[in-house]
Amino acid sequence: MPKQEEDRILREWTPILLRSILIAAMITLVAGLILTYTFAPDYYVEHYRAAQHGHLIGKETLGLLFDRVRQGNPHAVLTIGLFVLTLVPLARVAFCFILFIRERDYTYVALTAYVLAGLIAGMLAGSAG
Amino acid sequence: MLEILIGLLALAVGAGFIGSLSGLGGGVFIVPALVIFAHMPMQVAVGASLISVVATSAGASVAFVRDGWTNLKVAMVLECATVTGAVIGAYLAGIVPNVVLELLFAAMMLQSAYFTVTKRGDDILTKGDPLAVRLELAGEVPDLSGNLVHYEVVKVPQGGALMVVAGLMSGLLGIGSGALKVMAMDYIMHLPLKVSSATSNFMIGVTAGAGALVFLARGDVATTIASPVAIGVTAGALAGSRLLPHLRVESLRTVFVIILVLIAAEMGWRALSGI
Repeated sequence: MPKQEEDRILREWTPILLRSILIAAMITLVAGLILTYTFAPDYYVEHYRAAQHGHLIGKETLGLLFDRVRQGNPHAVLTIGLFVLTLVPLARVAFCFILFIRERDYTYVALTAYVLAGLIAGMLAGSAG
Repeated sequence: MLEILIGLLALAVGAGFIGSLSGLGGGVFIVPALVIFAHMPMQVAVGASLISVVATSAGASVAFVRDGWTNLKVAMVLECATVTGAVIGAYLAGIVPNVVLELLFAAMMLQSAYFTVTKRGDDILTKGDPLAVRLELAGEVPDLSGNLVHYEVVKVPQGGALMVVAGLMSGLLGIGSGALKVMAMDYIMHLPLKVSSATSNFMIGVTAGAGALVFLARGDVATTIASPVAIGVTAGALAGSRLLPHLRVESLRTVFVIILVLIAAEMGWRALSGI
């Protein structure tokens, strides 16, 4: 693949990728806030006051999270929205990684692989800590 | 609930708006806003801010990438350094005492103020160093008359070293560290200023994303706070970027510097009086 073609694909598709995930995350967050306001306003206030004292709800596994979403738990919808938002950079780097593999540009395959590994290592370090 | 929600949204919209106009990003303003006005501990403010920074970076990058201002390859090379720093920083943020975080934050605000005052002009290089040439980091940027001007890049390792620090500060303090990133690219690597700003903004998503993933996976994000903050900061940044072309930002520079110095003083005072 010529360099100009690679650059064109990156400049055309990166904004589409960024915008799509951002819009999906924002819709989920707004929906989560509306659900919270409608069904669990007291929980929201309680959670806010607890956060002021540094008390957070702690870790949630993805399985538990999806179970709660299925039950219509507004807090879980908010958490999903935040997770989707953090997928923006992950998806963008993964997209570049795949493009560089297709182009056999191994220097950039290695660099984007390192960034991807760093993002995944961060997530694992957070889960373990 | 509505009162709290409106308060958080107002703080976030304001932070995103000023962050966008000053070019420093929403994180620099939302962290102190949450600490000072919403009485949140630093760690809670940092977690919420990191996520909002991912959102604003993605929103602002769309136009910069499409219009060719972002140097994607420079971003990909330097992201290796910022991600390393950000993961270490976010991990340490759960251990480092609040007082240290507040003092570091005050220092970063002063650095941002210094950067705002001393922004360098364009100094386009026509010859890059061997590593930059091998990594194909050169690019083209339109001049005032719309003609494309070729620019080269130098000192990648030195720029990368400063990027590790930028990543570390981002993970520790919940900010994009845009001022440090632009300094590395503009002062050290000699990229044109607008390319440095656009590339820094693009990279901030990955840097803050790395930190945000650590916080989220650790369960250290207050979702009820981070959600309205992310929405508000994004909306404020969007409004700021729409208004930016119609404002004389140069004349606002003094106001930004005063705000930064005042916040630095407040955060420093809070840290020292709490010891």
